[in-house]
Amino acid sequence: MATDRRTDAELLAQVAAGDQPAFEELHRRYARSVLGIALRRIGDRGRAEDATQDTFTSIWRSASRFDPARGEATSWLYTVARNAIVDGLRRRREPPVDEAPDMAAPGPGPDESAEHGWVSWRVHRALEELPEQERSLVELAYWSGLSQSEIATYLSIPLGTVKTRTRSALRRLAEELGDDLR
Amino acid sequence: MSESREHPDLQDLVGNDLEPSEREQLEGVHAMLLEAGPPPELPPSLAHAPTPPSARVIPMPRRFRYPAIAVAAIAAIAIFWAGYLVAGGPDPRPVETLAMSGTGGATAELALFAKDDAGNWPMELNVSGLPAGSYELWLTRGGELAASCGFFAIAGDEVTVPLNAPYRLTEFDGWVVVPKGGDERVLTT
Repeated sequence: MATDRRTDAELLAQVAAGDQPAFEELHRRYARSVLGIALRRIGDRGRAEDATQDTFTSIWRSASRFDPARGEATSWLYTVARNAIVDGLRRRREPPVDEAPDMAAPGPGPDESAEHGWVSWRVHRALEELPEQERSLVELAYWSGLSQSEIATYLSIPLGTVKTRTRSALRRLAEELGDDLR
Repeated sequence: MSESREHPDLQDLVGNDLEPSEREQLEGVHAMLLEAGPPPELPPSLAHAPTPPSARVIPMPRRFRYPAIAVAAIAAIAIFWAGYLVAGGPDPRPVETLAMSGTGGATAELALFAKDDAGNWPMELNVSGLPAGSYELWLTRGGELAASCGFFAIAGDEVTVPLNAPYRLTEFDGWVVVPKGGDERVLTT
């Protein structure tokens, strides 16, 4: 679990002053979120990883432009990440696979895509704040295809403990998601 | 014992003895987890932050020092004021851009900017080819007008106006422009 209680805004202010440990902490909090949206937008794993590196370089360079009076740090970081990913694609002269089309196209529209990207960003960021045993339990419960009983067997813990920890993890995620919670 | 399944059931995960308020809260988390999907695993190359780029210092000849300082100061002041006058937010680039088209060659481009803390999606609508008049941008659901995003007027060939959608956009399925007070679609996505 994260023990560093500095806010994202405080970390950005320290990054702006050249504080590399603060930069490393921001990376720990957001690397999976950034890689997640890069993968969604680009598709190719190698290029998405390059785009993630580009994003953090961009955060390092532009942290001083973050103004907490104008919005939350996570929104600012989301915008920086999306712009860095798109800029990287343009530099490579290859269009992003889900770039907004010039004409209406079937499937999810840009508005839905934007909303979905934001939900993924917030959820993946919130998962980083869970204790390791709760985070892995949530990931097993939601994305492994295993039932609770199968997870209990897999982790060699009682079924009741699996449910208690899962409930605790979801409560903690609710706190982390705050106003974004539906 | 439950069977293996694609999507977990909340009751199966946490039991059925929750207070209604807590159940509602956890249902919200549950829905967001399902929508978000799994976070990717980080490869070793992304296990740590990249090394920040460092600036290389090039010594300047002494005779150029004071003129260079003066030029830099003037340039910094000019850039500051240019940025102050031009900038409208922390980053003015849209997160998505949506094309609209209509009858008679009317077209529009709807730029959607990052959602703010209060849940507003700031937008900028650039419209061309509509007859002079007042119009309204709507979000639609099932093809019906569902939520207004504001009015605008057009008097010439083209207009660009800031608008706002303080809504959860996934609850809607399209955007349309109609004459103010009417329901004839003059632009659609």
